Amino acid sequence: MLSDADLARSIAAAAPGEASDAEGELYARLAPRVRLYGLRHLRDAQAAADLVQQVLLMTIEHLRDGKIREPERLASYILGMCRMVVLDLRRGSLRRDRVLRRFADDLAGVEVAGPTCLDTERLRDCLAGLGERERTVLVLTFHAERTAAEVAGELGLTATNVRVIRHRALGRLRACLDDMEPAT
Amino acid sequence: MSVTTCARPLEPAVLIDYWLGDLTPAEEEDVEEHLLGCGSCGERLGELVALTGSVRALADDGLVRAVVTSAFVDSLVGERFTVREYRLVPGGRIECTVTPEDDLVAAHFSVDLRGVSRVDFIRCDAEGREENRLDDIPFDPATPEIVLLERMDRVRALPACVKRVKLIGHEGNDQRVLGEYVFAHTPPGQGP
Repeated sequence: MLSDADLARSIAAAAPGEASDAEGELYARLAPRVRLYGLRHLRDAQAAADLVQQVLLMTIEHLRDGKIREPERLASYILGMCRMVVLDLRRGSLRRDRVLRRFADDLAGVEVAGPTCLDTERLRDCLAGLGERERTVLVLTFHAERTAAEVAGELGLTATNVRVIRHRALGRLRACLDDMEPAT
Repeated sequence: MSVTTCARPLEPAVLIDYWLGDLTPAEEEDVEEHLLGCGSCGERLGELVALTGSVRALADDGLVRAVVTSAFVDSLVGERFTVREYRLVPGGRIECTVTPEDDLVAAHFSVDLRGVSRVDFIRCDAEGREENRLDDIPFDPATPEIVLLERMDRVRALPACVKRVKLIGHEGNDQRVLGEYVFAHTPPGQGP
């Protein structure tokens, strides 16, 4: 399988319109990663979807134009692009419409799948099998994606305590869901 | 689309710390650059994010029984969840129910937690026979309260009944009853 850098090089080296497969493959690989970056920083699925389209369409454009000189550092390039676009999105920039009008039709529609659904009944049972502190930390943490320090302040614990409990709880939850240990 | 394996996979603890903003700025930058260049670690982060979202969804649907805090219940109310709250003092008895409009139910147990190192929560039937217990529940000794978010599916299924709750405090090798509380439950439509 070609690396991301190899795909980027093939796009940069191709004649106009001759690298659509490589562009589609690169877009499909990078979209889920950029989407997660967007969810992490924007905490909004639609905004994250906008980020994906803006960043990747501009990246493809810059590859075609030979503006990305070090394809082996593509991740670093995309990180910088993500930061810039997140700032734009937070400021409500209209860059999106301009970019999409120019390039959206060039790429076959690439669906960015959301996370797969879990067996919620099994998750519920696995949560019930956790220790009380573990379950409390997970509920308080994940309801609003709060930091360890925020949760620690409510429980009279240290942030380090909370992180240890959190990591242990997630490990046990993951193992239970993978059926490595029974839910008790 | 195949995903190659990673030569230096990010640990699950690092992934969740990243997702929750618990890394330093320098650590976060390193992790983000790795994630943007690695399909395998990105996929693992996606799975973790799906898990956290599912936990949140279960809690929001009232399907997780957990000791929480008053601040957490207040945040739920602020997010427009309909939370039925009951407040009990030691030796107290309360008439309770749930309605179809209630999203969640929370019980606040007033209790003096000073001097204890561990608290157990025990629920008994009307005759005092133990039905269920939560051992070593989290608590803040400085906050004279235990707050429990109950599972709505189980509460809704309860017939008319009396439940007794005991909070047991452990201090060294000794244990003592910190408080006893009584719930007189009436099913929906017949309640107080």
